[in-house]
Amino acid sequence: MNLKELNVVGKRIPKLDAAKKAMGRAEYIQDIKLPGMVYGKILYSRYAHANIVKMDTSRARALPGVLCVLTGDDVPKKMRMGFYKDNPPLKKGKVCSFRDEVAAVAAISPEIAKTALDMIEIQYEELPGIFDPEKAMEPDSPLVHDYHKTNVLNLPWKLHYGDVEKAEKESAFVVEERFTTQWVSHCCLGTSGAIALFDSSNNLTIYTNTQIPSLAQKDFLESLKAMGLENKRARVIKPIIGGGFGSKLDTYAYEHIAILLAHACRRPVKILFDRVEEFKAISTRQPTVIYIKQGCDKNGKLTFRDMRMVLDNGAYTSWGATTPSVMMMPITSLYRVENVRYEAKCVYTNNTYSQAMRGYGNPQATFAIESTIDMLAQKAGIDRVEMRRINRNQPGDLTPQGFKISSCGLSECIDAVEKEMDIKGPREKGVGFGIASLIHVGGGARIYKSDGCGAILKMDDYGKVDIFTGGTDMGQGLDNITAQIVAEELGLLVEDINVVHSDTDVCPWDVGAHASRSTFVAGNAALGAAKKVKAVILEEAAKTFGVSPDQIVMKARNIFVPGDAEKTMPIDKLLRKVHFSPQGKMLMADYFYDPDNENMGKDMKGNMSVTYAFGAHGVKVRVDEETGKVEVLDYVAAHDVGRAINPLLLEGQVYGGVVMGLGYALTEEVVTRDGKNMNPNFRDYKLFTAKDAVRIKAPVVETYDEYGPFGAKGIGEPGCVPTAPAVANAIYDAVGVRITTLPITPEKVLAALKEKKKRPLN
Amino acid sequence: MTTTISFILNGDRISYEIKDHWTLLHLLREEMGLIGTKEGCGNGECGACTVIVDKLAVNSCLYLAVDADGKTVDTIEGLASTDGTLHPLQQSFVDNGGIQCGFCSPGMIMSSKALLDSNPNATEDEVKHALAGNICRCTGYVQILESVEAAKKHMSGGGQS
Amino acid sequence: MKEFTYLTPTTVEEAVSLYGQHSETAKYMAGGTDVIVKLKEGWMEPDYLISLKKIEELSELRKNDATGDLTIGATVTHAVLEKSIMIQKEYPIIHDAVSNIGSLQVRNVGTIGGNLINAVPSADGAIPMIALDGISLIQGPAGERSVAVKDLFIEPYKTVLKPGEILKKITIPAQAPRTGSAYIKFGRRAAMELPLIGIGVLLSLEEDLETCAKARIVLGVAGPTPMRAYEAEKLLAGQRITEDILRQAGEKAADESKVRDSVRGSAWHRKEMIRVQVRRMGLKCMDIIRNNR
Repeated sequence: MNLKELNVVGKRIPKLDAAKKAMGRAEYIQDIKLPGMVYGKILYSRYAHANIVKMDTSRARALPGVLCVLTGDDVPKKMRMGFYKDNPPLKKGKVCSFRDEVAAVAAISPEIAKTALDMIEIQYEELPGIFDPEKAMEPDSPLVHDYHKTNVLNLPWKLHYGDVEKAEKESAFVVEERFTTQWVSHCCLGTSGAIALFDSSNNLTIYTNTQIPSLAQKDFLESLKAMGLENKRARVIKPIIGGGFGSKLDTYAYEHIAILLAHACRRPVKILFDRVEEFKAISTRQPTVIYIKQGCDKNGKLTFRDMRMVLDNGAYTSWGATTPSVMMMPITSLYRVENVRYEAKCVYTNNTYSQAMRGYGNPQATFAIESTIDMLAQKAGIDRVEMRRINRNQPGDLTPQGFKISSCGLSECIDAVEKEMDIKGPREKGVGFGIASLIHVGGGARIYKSDGCGAILKMDDYGKVDIFTGGTDMGQGLDNITAQIVAEELGLLVEDINVVHSDTDVCPWDVGAHASRSTFVAGNAALGAAKKVKAVILEEAAKTFGVSPDQIVMKARNIFVPGDAEKTMPIDKLLRKVHFSPQGKMLMADYFYDPDNENMGKDMKGNMSVTYAFGAHGVKVRVDEETGKVEVLDYVAAHDVGRAINPLLLEGQVYGGVVMGLGYALTEEVVTRDGKNMNPNFRDYKLFTAKDAVRIKAPVVETYDEYGPFGAKGIGEPGCVPTAPAVANAIYDAVGVRITTLPITPEKVLAALKEKKKRPLN
Repeated sequence: MTTTISFILNGDRISYEIKDHWTLLHLLREEMGLIGTKEGCGNGECGACTVIVDKLAVNSCLYLAVDADGKTVDTIEGLASTDGTLHPLQQSFVDNGGIQCGFCSPGMIMSSKALLDSNPNATEDEVKHALAGNICRCTGYVQILESVEAAKKHMSGGGQS
Repeated sequence: MKEFTYLTPTTVEEAVSLYGQHSETAKYMAGGTDVIVKLKEGWMEPDYLISLKKIEELSELRKNDATGDLTIGATVTHAVLEKSIMIQKEYPIIHDAVSNIGSLQVRNVGTIGGNLINAVPSADGAIPMIALDGISLIQGPAGERSVAVKDLFIEPYKTVLKPGEILKKITIPAQAPRTGSAYIKFGRRAAMELPLIGIGVLLSLEEDLETCAKARIVLGVAGPTPMRAYEAEKLLAGQRITEDILRQAGEKAADESKVRDSVRGSAWHRKEMIRVQVRRMGLKCMDIIRNNR
């Protein structure tokens, strides 16, 4: 689609805070020191599952420099984290995983706090642990929480549309497979941390790395209430965030512990994670065991999709347990398929618990779906690209789950991949191509009661704007998106816009930086506020120029009537004129945008997002058949983004997402032994390095979504959604082995190749 | 024990009383307030703390402050001109999307600087080899490599400004 | 990190004498990239840290043109070795190994001596030194002694060095003409790896450029310490080098190895990699020899 050229939107404007960051002047939680600040440290369990028989903190308390030692006994009964409210910030009586917090110390230096932790004596009585979620469902399994009576959580993840069994019988071809996906870690370069302090009236201020300032504020207020501090204020200040990727979508024990310590010792308390803690105590991506069956008719048209999952919930419950709500999206709506069934069980184990992570369940589900699409195409004897074209989503579709597909460029994305990569062409030995598609929410995602975001905009006498947004920038570039949208609407330059997103005392409510929603939702909020201010400016200019408002244009800091050289003035001059007149006005506006999307009903139906993003990825790999090593030679990631507000940052999101996805596909995993994290460091947790960097092309398909700000849809997550199946499909294409467990290590590929050689040729 | 060290920090001659067990990172960040040098892991596995000592990129988390005695230390704070003009590498990272969350950026830029200062015509493979110890989770390295490439051209006078 | 006093002797004698004064409360440190991690983790808590950085003789890197011996001082950094054109040309196995130890930042500070003394099973630095029949020169309170690098290691994190002893240098005897050497570190990614397996191969050929005069096959992470695959070496000695015999040598080396399952990888895959990589490195040696003619 050829979109009208705009002045600010659509431009490759560098990230607004990049210069500050390049100079080393950006302040992260690591860099903040407050007067009188002391340091908190947390002691974790030594067992995956054990009773705490005895605890002696007296030596730690006696250590000079120690201000306060807390244990589970000091935590108010109602202080519980997570939507399932099963997780107290310090555990009492029993530990259920290695990451269980058992005690915390505040001291005048981090070193003293650490020494004090070593002086806390705890006697444990080890209990049998359960680490396999499928085994944890068996009746004789040890219980993680005795009070819960069963390890299976009571969650509603079940749907059935159409008639899957009937459709299966009528299918010409059916494939069935089991897939598993691993724990992976967000690996934000800036580790987690928080500083909590109370004022003289017991109002809380907390500096913390969060993607959800408003919901975190709610969590903290609940903690204050549990502590007996009702009707107090909680102010959340976000320093610059050193990476999010979903890890900061829930509040963590360390934040609540910082609050408890600060309250107990009446000093600002800082807790800062080291890298080992970051690996062990930050929740991972949700691991899965997936059973899938898909079928098609003789022409390759999908007939049904039947999926069942078991999710290792770990010992406590965070957003990982709600990822099925997003997995449902690709399951019901990636490609046209009428008969769909899905059920997911979340099961307590003595492992770590999971959280949101870029894609929120979508990469796991898409791995199974897109791997089996290739298997089905092969079985049906249909070219795998054609198979995808046959079943592609199209604008105007209503999917079985009730998603209204407004704009949809999936077809163009598949074309773009084919254009950049010779998927059907000849190849050298050991080289293969893979393709996989994606659907993701691109216009908000109504998971919470509100999917809204507020914005407050004010203009000064000099034509400068401050916009206070509920949205969060954590490096992805929401500051730019907001500024570019506002600048475009008000005829200003991007440097005229100051975006404030760091403080709940001044910024309005927002549900959080998740679900690729910020460009769409926070962008629409900013646009709404800008439009309100613009209407007033135009009205005032109309009076000045003696024309009607619709004749006036605002552009490049000027306001004018096109074609009339007399009727023009700088915007700031008009602003001053309006301000410094009798009954003068300063221009301000607020806007709360809550997208017109729907919560899911009991049947899980509902238009979750106002619009959906689509994409197709292609990858070329070389497999070393003697070592099993997979080398990524080329990568194409084509996305339907509605409109690119800032192509430079958009490409950054895609590249970063793809490489995160490649790590998921090939190298990354949290290795555990009986619940213990065995690789909590960058040496053994294998992120891609610059030397592993891959050539990536990121063609952008612009479909202009009528609901998006200037036509834009969200694009934060899709880059990592279909990466793993694209790679798995390419490996199959190269050497004929289908790897169903992530990550696809050389060892797994080689084992599969050896197994294949053993099989007689049929 | 305490020792007084003398070294050149970002062009300035400095004397500082330090404790022998301090790392250079501790001295810079905690004692001198130079927060631009970041700690991402503390074990030499991420490169966020990279500074340049006598023209070599080093992990300041694995370098004792006492060993800086008599040496020249450059940190991210010393790169921009006093009038605020960014170093070409900094400007290039800004312009080419080499910076997202920014936590790895100072280290990444310092590693790039050490490389280009000693090897102004570094090939892409040489850049990748030199930056392999600087972990970035946001960018997938694509725009970082583009930033270094653009800066290289600019610094050797071949590119546009 | 616990506080300590930092001592900077300028001669080996002075360093040894300082150790004598403080004995168990002292530790030596070369580059520090391993020692500082241990200090931070509290695995090492000395009162005195004796730095070897200021001892000039330890940083010598020199090829004696008369004898053909190569001397590598213990505090020569990985980066110095990596950047040396002489090493790249004449000792490719050293270049291969040191240029992928940790990051450039680590290689700029970390030393070959430190890498050896740290004695991890994966010690990349040890493999080429063993393959090249390196001799380490050690000095301590009782004077100097020499130990072949292959005999330096007792178990993980433990060498034959006695308290107070310092590894001064490694001497690589002159290489036979028609020698090629190569090392590969096999892991999941292209850098920053602790290898799944490390394999070094050195071949010297007779004048016919076919018959093996000498073979060294050295394995890292194939047992508790870096090890030579003696049986595999024997299999090659005196034989005509072909891809097939290198394949057999790979099989033999895999049989000899003492690989184990670990969180980093399983034993069977390590064995497979020995099989494959011994052959590949052998072929690479042959290429090097032929290209050098």
